[in-house]
Amino acid sequence: MLLQLNKVFKWYDSKAGRTFILRDVNFDVQEGEFISIMGPSGSGKSTLLHILGMMDEPSEGEYYFIEQPVHKIREKQRSELYKKYIGFVFQAYHLIDELTVYENIETPLLYHGMKSSERQSLVADILDRFHMVGKKDLFPSQLSGGQQQLVGIARAIITKPKLILADEPTGNLNSKQGEEIMDLFKQLNQEGVTIIQVTHSEKNAAYGSRIINLFDGRIEG
Amino acid sequence: MLRNYFKIAFRNLQKNKAFSFINILGLSVGMACCMLILLYVQNEISYDKHHTRAEDMYRVGTTFVTTDQTKNMPYTPAPMAFTLKADFPEVEQATRVFVPFNEDKAIFKLAENGKVSKSFYESKGYMADSTFFDLFSYKFIEGVPHTALNEPNSVVVSEEIAQKLFGNQSALNKIVHIASSNGNIDFKITGVFRPDKLSTIDGRFFMSLSSGEMGAYVRSARNFAFNNMFYTFIRLQPGSNPQALEKKLTAFINKYAGADMKAAGFKKKQFLEAVSDLHLKSEDNGQMAGKGSISYVYLLTSIAIFTLLIACINFMNLSTARSGKRAAEVGIRKVVGAEKAMLISQFLGESLLLSILGLVIASVLVFLFLPVFNQLASTSIHIEVSQHVFTFLGFIALAIITGLIAGSYPAFYLASFQPIKVLKGKFTNTLAAVNLRRGLVIFQFSISIILILASLVVWKQMNYLKDQSLGFKQAQQVVIPLRTKTTKSSYEALKTEIQKNSQVVSAAAAGSYPGIFSARDQNFYTDGKTGAESVNVKLNDVDYNFIETLGFKVISGRPFSKNFAADTNSRIVLNEKAVAAFGYTPENVIGKRLHFDWNNEVFDYEIIGVVKDFHYEGLQQSIGRFGFLLDRNQNYNYMVVNVNTSSMESMLQFMETQWKKFNPEEPFEYTFMDQDFQRNYDTEQRMGTIVSYFTFIAIFISCLGLYGLATFTAEQRIKEIGIRKVLGASITNIVQLLSKDFLKLVLIALLIAGPIAWYAMNEWLQKFAYRIEIQWWMFAIAGCMALLIAFLTVSFQAVKAALINPVKSLKTE
Repeated sequence: MLLQLNKVFKWYDSKAGRTFILRDVNFDVQEGEFISIMGPSGSGKSTLLHILGMMDEPSEGEYYFIEQPVHKIREKQRSELYKKYIGFVFQAYHLIDELTVYENIETPLLYHGMKSSERQSLVADILDRFHMVGKKDLFPSQLSGGQQQLVGIARAIITKPKLILADEPTGNLNSKQGEEIMDLFKQLNQEGVTIIQVTHSEKNAAYGSRIINLFDGRIEG
Repeated sequence: MLRNYFKIAFRNLQKNKAFSFINILGLSVGMACCMLILLYVQNEISYDKHHTRAEDMYRVGTTFVTTDQTKNMPYTPAPMAFTLKADFPEVEQATRVFVPFNEDKAIFKLAENGKVSKSFYESKGYMADSTFFDLFSYKFIEGVPHTALNEPNSVVVSEEIAQKLFGNQSALNKIVHIASSNGNIDFKITGVFRPDKLSTIDGRFFMSLSSGEMGAYVRSARNFAFNNMFYTFIRLQPGSNPQALEKKLTAFINKYAGADMKAAGFKKKQFLEAVSDLHLKSEDNGQMAGKGSISYVYLLTSIAIFTLLIACINFMNLSTARSGKRAAEVGIRKVVGAEKAMLISQFLGESLLLSILGLVIASVLVFLFLPVFNQLASTSIHIEVSQHVFTFLGFIALAIITGLIAGSYPAFYLASFQPIKVLKGKFTNTLAAVNLRRGLVIFQFSISIILILASLVVWKQMNYLKDQSLGFKQAQQVVIPLRTKTTKSSYEALKTEIQKNSQVVSAAAAGSYPGIFSARDQNFYTDGKTGAESVNVKLNDVDYNFIETLGFKVISGRPFSKNFAADTNSRIVLNEKAVAAFGYTPENVIGKRLHFDWNNEVFDYEIIGVVKDFHYEGLQQSIGRFGFLLDRNQNYNYMVVNVNTSSMESMLQFMETQWKKFNPEEPFEYTFMDQDFQRNYDTEQRMGTIVSYFTFIAIFISCLGLYGLATFTAEQRIKEIGIRKVLGASITNIVQLLSKDFLKLVLIALLIAGPIAWYAMNEWLQKFAYRIEIQWWMFAIAGCMALLIAFLTVSFQAVKAALINPVKSLKTE
């Protein structure tokens, strides 16, 4: 088992009282799955994804990632775990504007303390695979949305994570670009990477092996 | 990793040209100020550190205690030095230095084939014992230091003088004629030195103390109580305790001078001052090099630090204000695995890069402005790679510290962003950051306002000093120094000739004149009292019509007159303060007598007149007791000519012609009394100028920062401005809206700065016995200036923002 959520709650306290984002969420993910989380706006999809990505903490409940109790371990260990096993892809790509394509892809490797020669070969491999060698010295603003998202995915997988979390990865793309990206995810999944995506689109959800429907912070069905 | 950071940093600099410009310019100007001040401080503390075993060298000073005052002076009597050496084993070596009073220059004459071939004045001629160069280290380029002053009539000159005399030829063993009040003597040059290090003992030529009249006096001098006019320097055995020696000196002086002091009505105590502290810490260095001041060193250092701090604040403010733009990057980096520590080091690295760029520009600025600074501070600092290794290391350290200070807050602030928040675009400046930014702006403007107020007060005080009535006529008074025996003896004849000119009101001579240093004083007592109840009176030995020439106001009795033959003998004119000190009124003091005892003899003076109090020293000092005596020997040091002319130039030409008649071999030199008096305020004037320059720089950097912030705010509120305009706001409304916040900050700064500036400047004013009161309108002016400057800075951006067509600004959202 890759990860497991047990009775996870997430809430915010305000003057108006307690607002629940997630209520009693339980689910397991096996390695190699391709899961789509669906649900209307405000149903807690993104929060769930952030908790899975260890960028947010549940208010209550347990989260095990490769047998490790994420809800108990310390920040330092958590970020080690996260750094090693998880990659993130965003709707708005979130590339660093001041860095070139090459440098954007290279950045995670820097934080993994990898040597320069290793970095070079890894980045070169990925550029090659995504057919972006000719664009490696361009800045994000010089790329189309689809190309930017490609760089985003390249950046996410360069550290060879077990799990990719994608927050509406095609939300800002046209349908053709979106299809290409989803094909890429499918391919990655076939290579053994576990993928959890948040999406609004039934079509995109169909790429996955399992759909989780979220409504008002609860898993339905 | 580093390369990645540098790339980002550089690209960010390029992308945000305005902000980079403000930051780098501010930082480099701030750093340049700090570097200049660092050089200045290093220059100031380097004085007299170079002598071999400088740490064991001391100057013996004297505290004079009379019934009503205690005064520290750097002088001692002639026999002191070598008696100390004989009596105390811990005194390893001693030497005396004599600096002629009221004689700023001596004349050098070079004779070839019996004719005078060269003749010029030289200043800073000191007389010193043969042991002088044993104590003090001078770099000799000719001659042997330890034996140079062994013989009478030997002189050691600076390289510059040697060159003036002999060009590039060797000066060693050549004969030069030096005429001064010490006599007209042929000196043998026994050494040439290169003054490459700073010293309080800033002589340009050193004559053997056993030469001339002074030599005769020194050889016979046995008295320890009087004639305190020699500097005594001693070197202690390594490891001796100067405090212990100092304690023993009370018994020492009482043993040798006790009886004389008792008779004359004063006591003396000796104290030791470390030679290396003389420049900055000594209260009084007498006639030697102009004193530095430790308080001015502190003042300049703090101004430099504040200037740099203001620049650092700009960096902090602009970085945090713009953090929204960097937030996304922080979020992404965190998501792809960056830890907080890595991000902190990245942002610190960026500010370091900026400060190092600043350092490069600052170095250029220092190089360009060093001459200007030298002129302002009247220093002669020049940068030499070999001498300033540590200074350069210091500069680099300064850049690193600057980078760390400026970068620390933004680094921690930026690195602590939560990725999910910033990536969702929910980023807002936290209230804490906004408040801190406001606080920092207030701090910046407080410093600027303090500096404005300081400049204002200094300026007012300087004007006050200039406008004060000194109690005599200082304008149109030409002072002609009478330096040598020849000129002194030609005085009467010269006076007669000069007075023939109808534009000359009158001419007279004296031992000294108001505004210059004078050491002459005497303790007097009145009838029915004893020497133990003496009162100290400063004296000036004058010619008949000196009192009239300078226009001192006689309020009782009469001035000296040729009609009273007895005036030449034992008659005195006092000022009001002196009369009061003796317990009389100006009316009843006439005809009373003053006495003093010397060598078991009683000397009498009859009081014949009283003059209104006048300023004989700078207005730092309050007026004390003063008296005039007629100089029996006509041994005057200065001739004063009161003229009434519209063409000073032709008047001076006339005087020079007359002078040449009697003194063909001596150059004619003159000064103006009013200018000489102003020289008492040189240090204050200089500091005032420096402070005002720094004020300008500090305000400039503050405004840069404010401009940056205003730009940012206007950018941030562009939508709000658009909506307001659609709703009918006028341009004035918008400018008001944008400026109000900043102006409020400046007002708060004024409230904070006011009391601090008032306190600091009041302290400064205490140095002057005569001073202005700090008034409320000065605060008003400083406040208005700060507000106006801030408003102009902010409104430029505000107007720009207000003029934007709302359709455009609303569309961008």
